[in-house]
Amino acid sequence: MKKPLYKTGLTLASALLLAVSISACGPDNSPKSSEEAANSGSGNATPAAKAPVKISYLTFRVGTHASAKMEEEQIKQFNEKYGDEVEVVVEEIPSDAAYVDKIKILAASGDVPDVVMGKDGINDVLIKGNLATPFNDYLDKDPEWKAAIGDDAIASNTRDGKVWSISDQKQNIGYFYNKEMFEKAGIKPAETWDEFMSNNEKLKAAGFVPLALMTGENAWTSNLLLAAMIGTNGENGKAFMNTLHPTDFNTPEMIQALNMMKDLLAKYTTKDALGAGYANAANAFSQGKAAMIANGPWMIGDFSDPAKSSEGFDKKVGVAAYPNNSLISTYEVGYMIGAQTPETRDAAEKFIKFKTGLEGQTIALEYGNVMPVSSEVQPSDALKEKYPIMVESITVAQKTQLHYRTLDSIVYPNVTDAWKNLYPKLAAGRATAEEIAKELTEIAAKNK
Amino acid sequence: MVRKNKGYIALFLLPTVALFIIVYAVSLVILFGTSFTEWSAGRSPVFNGLANYIQLFTDDSDFRKSALNTVIWVALQSTVHVAIGTLFAIILSMKQFYWKFARTVYMFPNIISGAAVGMLFLCMLNPDFGAVNSIVRMFGNADYSQNWFMDYSTAFLSVTMTWLPYAAVVTILILAEIAAIPESLYESARIDGASSFKINLYIILPMLRNIIGTCVILSGTSMLQKMDIILMTTGGGPGNETMNLPIYIYKTALMDNNFGYSNSVGVFLIGFGLIFVLLCRNLFRIGSSQN
Repeated sequence: MKKPLYKTGLTLASALLLAVSISACGPDNSPKSSEEAANSGSGNATPAAKAPVKISYLTFRVGTHASAKMEEEQIKQFNEKYGDEVEVVVEEIPSDAAYVDKIKILAASGDVPDVVMGKDGINDVLIKGNLATPFNDYLDKDPEWKAAIGDDAIASNTRDGKVWSISDQKQNIGYFYNKEMFEKAGIKPAETWDEFMSNNEKLKAAGFVPLALMTGENAWTSNLLLAAMIGTNGENGKAFMNTLHPTDFNTPEMIQALNMMKDLLAKYTTKDALGAGYANAANAFSQGKAAMIANGPWMIGDFSDPAKSSEGFDKKVGVAAYPNNSLISTYEVGYMIGAQTPETRDAAEKFIKFKTGLEGQTIALEYGNVMPVSSEVQPSDALKEKYPIMVESITVAQKTQLHYRTLDSIVYPNVTDAWKNLYPKLAAGRATAEEIAKELTEIAAKNK
Repeated sequence: MVRKNKGYIALFLLPTVALFIIVYAVSLVILFGTSFTEWSAGRSPVFNGLANYIQLFTDDSDFRKSALNTVIWVALQSTVHVAIGTLFAIILSMKQFYWKFARTVYMFPNIISGAAVGMLFLCMLNPDFGAVNSIVRMFGNADYSQNWFMDYSTAFLSVTMTWLPYAAVVTILILAEIAAIPESLYESARIDGASSFKINLYIILPMLRNIIGTCVILSGTSMLQKMDIILMTTGGGPGNETMNLPIYIYKTALMDNNFGYSNSVGVFLIGFGLIFVLLCRNLFRIGSSQN
């Protein structure tokens, strides 16, 4: 049987189309035109301007993230200054958690971006996997940059003499309180934990919900208080809260703090605190439903944002240190070099130097209310006028004498992830504080 | 001629086979191989024999709870969920005045992404401002506050209710099968004096065996990958009350940084899924004729 001609034609046309589309998807391996080849190979031709080095950078500071404006401005100003040398290819990631997951998966395949934020255990993964480049040589070559970061910030990210990341911010975290509610309850910020608990009782008696707590996500606002309870509990507590990767949570300080937290969750917080995310807790405070929230200065902008707070709410907010004249004070892990070639490493270092140098710190302070690591960077008059509470925040921080870190910055990532399951267990009475402490120890031991 | 056709078949199958090998087959081989290793991100896998599997079955209460929850959800989804969808399809097949409207409305939860459904339920069941608690408060109990997702007594049921009743896919598939049943069968039954109930029970349902079997497989296996809604609502808590195997895999890989162990859980999950599919195929004799 003879095949009709049009069928053969159609088959050939389809095959040709398939071949063309496949080749269009592939890399361009076609030989260069003679002119291109001559230009590229000839030493006499006019040298073309050197193309900027491309570096990859993933960021979760996008959309409604508190630091989105800061990130955008830093990248914009970097491009204006160094755009002809370095091209930053930015990939936006929708959330902190998605960012951490993505970098860990990329690390498993040995292919991380050129610039990486080392938060939530990413730094450990990159260091153990030999995927990061230490900054020692770069810092030695640039004493100005080294001074702008400061010895303390550098020391906080140094292991075995190697500086693995550059911190871009110092977190000084106390708590914000509603001055109106405090006045009506006849109280002032507590100086001891007994007074703190008594304040809670008085606020409750005055008809207010004392605390905006949350146990979902990373239990951020609850864990800041837990950290303060542990960190202020004698030398052992302070030592625990300044130890990187604690493996034994079965300590009297931890158990005591967990028992206090159980009380707070049962009596002095919002009805939805168990399972709530950061947004719920922040709303509870900003909407005047709770009298206190533990959080850092980056929240200050929210108090005068009409989308988040009622008009004039920023005038009602005060800031305080934790009992025992103490404060959470920690340096962020900051940025790491994940680049694998000398060229991209240098370009990544240039980008990180800009973000963490005096210029970058100034942008972070002005656009994101982020506390700089250098004392040379001070808030502008415009910022002080716009956010008087920022100045108050700095004053409070300067007066404190006892400092400790956040739980998130010292524990293994799997411990941070466990709080959301453990707090409801503690609050429901399914486990005692001692049992939770034991479970935390077991979880920390699982970390690889 | 036949030889020529075989060549074409092979040629056109090639892209699909290549894609399957690259995307699935290679991944499965790596998954299986690395399940016998100690492997964490950034480091090379080191063979450790059956250590992961031994730990899994002898010394891991979270795994046991996750596996149990997964089995319960697979069982519920492949029975209750399919039954709801089938019943709804039979009601709609009677083509009363509301059937098109009801079919469309019932599809809504299936066209919204899992994360959005999770967020929706998180708001509806919020103990403070959620619609469910507000309705109860409206009816007299002003102080009523139930934390549906975080209370041990309600967490499992609350999470289950975010997917169990919404069987629109099952309904659509079964409706299509019912539409293919010849009208003459209904007529014969009616002439013989069969009521609508008897027609549905003795004629329609047996003729739906193949498609119901398919729905059981689709619904049951969907529970082997259920993760987004659980992560959005309870995160596996309180404690490990609503943990399932996909969440456990996520936690062991990305939180504990233990990829080798996580892959051994993955192998268990795939094995469980294969056994489930084989059981369903045999139980429903999928593919064989209705007679």
